[in-house]
Amino acid sequence: MTRRRRDIKAFFCIATGRAGLPDTPSDLAAFVSWAQESHILGQVAAVVTAEVGSKLYDILENARLRSSYDRRMLTFETNRVRRALMGADIQPILLKGSAYVAEHLLAGVGRRVSDIDILVPEEHLKETEKLLGQAGWRAEESTAGAYDQQYYRRWMHELPPLRHETRRTLIDVHHRLLPRTSRIRPDHLKLMADARLIEGSDLMVFSPTDRFIHSAIHIFGDGAFETPARSFIELFYLYSDLTGAERQSLMLRAKDVGAETPVREALWMLGEYFDIQAKGGKAPWLLKWCIRTVTDGQGGLVYLANALLYVRSHYMRMPLPLLAGHLWKKALRRV
Amino acid sequence: MTARPLEKYMKADAIRALKSGTLVLELGAFSTRVKLSDRRSVAFFLDMYADCLVTLGDCALSDFSLTVRPPNQFRKYFRHQVVPDPGFGFPAAPLPVSMSPLALEMGLNLSVALQCFRYAIFHAGVVAEGDQALIIAAKSGGGKSTLTAALMEEGWRLLSDEFAILDLEEASLRGYPRPVSLKNASIDVVRGFAGKDQVSETLHGTPKGSIAYRRPRRGDIERMALPARPRVIVFPAFTEGAAPRCQEIDLADTAMQLIASSPNYQVIGERAFTGLMTMLDGMKAYEIEYGSTEDSLALVSDLWRSHVS
Repeated sequence: MTRRRRDIKAFFCIATGRAGLPDTPSDLAAFVSWAQESHILGQVAAVVTAEVGSKLYDILENARLRSSYDRRMLTFETNRVRRALMGADIQPILLKGSAYVAEHLLAGVGRRVSDIDILVPEEHLKETEKLLGQAGWRAEESTAGAYDQQYYRRWMHELPPLRHETRRTLIDVHHRLLPRTSRIRPDHLKLMADARLIEGSDLMVFSPTDRFIHSAIHIFGDGAFETPARSFIELFYLYSDLTGAERQSLMLRAKDVGAETPVREALWMLGEYFDIQAKGGKAPWLLKWCIRTVTDGQGGLVYLANALLYVRSHYMRMPLPLLAGHLWKKALRRV
Repeated sequence: MTARPLEKYMKADAIRALKSGTLVLELGAFSTRVKLSDRRSVAFFLDMYADCLVTLGDCALSDFSLTVRPPNQFRKYFRHQVVPDPGFGFPAAPLPVSMSPLALEMGLNLSVALQCFRYAIFHAGVVAEGDQALIIAAKSGGGKSTLTAALMEEGWRLLSDEFAILDLEEASLRGYPRPVSLKNASIDVVRGFAGKDQVSETLHGTPKGSIAYRRPRRGDIERMALPARPRVIVFPAFTEGAAPRCQEIDLADTAMQLIASSPNYQVIGERAFTGLMTMLDGMKAYEIEYGSTEDSLALVSDLWRSHVS
């Protein structure tokens, strides 16, 4: 049986509450499978209602229970991080999901999260690691080896991941936005300079504009698009939260902080899937093709598109000689 | 579209649906989309799940989606392997294709254990008389499945060999009657009392030793929607040559052991705690030790009679 082509744009409409659920059982089933595969059921559950007693109700309720745990976990861990750093002169900036949840943003509602991300000035890195260590966060087993430890510290934008010894939660401590070796070099200091306190807390977050810019950097400048739908919905909500004036000055700010390319690509995506006609949206044709193919998720070319995006993510992350050396080490380890 | 027993469909239609991932298994509280790629797991599924309700086609919603597939293109042709893929990148170890039924059963277990949050799940076998249930808690090598299969012969109905699925509102257990997984020596024991045609062929040399499955009976499936209130819980220990022994244990200890066996207790949080406490209220818990199936049945039957009927 061949499956019908899916209307991904319509799916995005439904998933963000801008359209109702499909009428026919087969369209509904296609939408729900897509949401399941894309790991966005929690987000869907936040905007869609179903009749009590129906299978759809069960599925959405299940997703709600899961994402409410993620939110509780994140809120609790954020509190533990604060506690661990108490008394030190370190003000971490919450990134990504941690920030969205702390600020009660739409982008955080129903979102599946597995780890907490914070950003601290590079000169505070040692102290932060020490204090988190005292609070129980140790090097995660899978990257605890000497090579990985050294690789992260030398080339990456974050410490090797830390896992809490009893609660098993994961924290990424960043000191910049992309690896030191990355092809694009956004000026993290400018973003940090404009960070602000969360109301009623002593933790910080980026400004709304910078939040969007950082998300675009993360997704288009670094990612391999493992869960494109989840990433794109995040960008959509972050963009929707911007005021008219913030949208007007978005490109200007992006240029100023050295993140023009990923922001243009993110804006192209918003036009492609969410009918947002923002000025400056632009992406190279091959990237467009890969993203369309991967997001569609059907057909024999998905594999190729994914492979290309994977290669691209590594190309974006590091220069070729370094990559060759890194892959060589990893290959040796497998043997 | 209503679900019908698998065996009522044309065999060719069922096979096509299994291979294209358009078959949805409706079992107990869960609907699972199943996609299989190799002949052996398809044959196993058609046989072991013959009495289960399924729908074919692309209209049914499902709680879980399970694919049993080669880990990569290469392994489709060279030393063919399969891996259960419950859809969230779980790092399951690949198995030779000859063990694909095990990959299927493991995958179905993973789906429930890691993706169900509507019910509290505990690792245990559950059998019932009418609407009164007995929980057989899992302990490695304790003989949970052998005891479960033996109790089925004594007239108990099977709710599940793997999971106690606790409805948190009603503090009752829900049925999920899938094949009972038997290991090593217990395979022949169960073949002996249940009959050869009730047990699947044996998979030799798996990571868990030899494995075979005892099918759920039609009656188990027909009555699966009837929830059961647990009355007694046993923690079985099989010791070669041991005299039968039984010791009551504290309900607080019982709770701690059940919580340790639950994959989703932490995620559900407070409701799982209150649900478990309500369930345990008025229950009796025992550790039982035995050296033979007869002894285990006698122990259980004594405990049951003194508390329930």
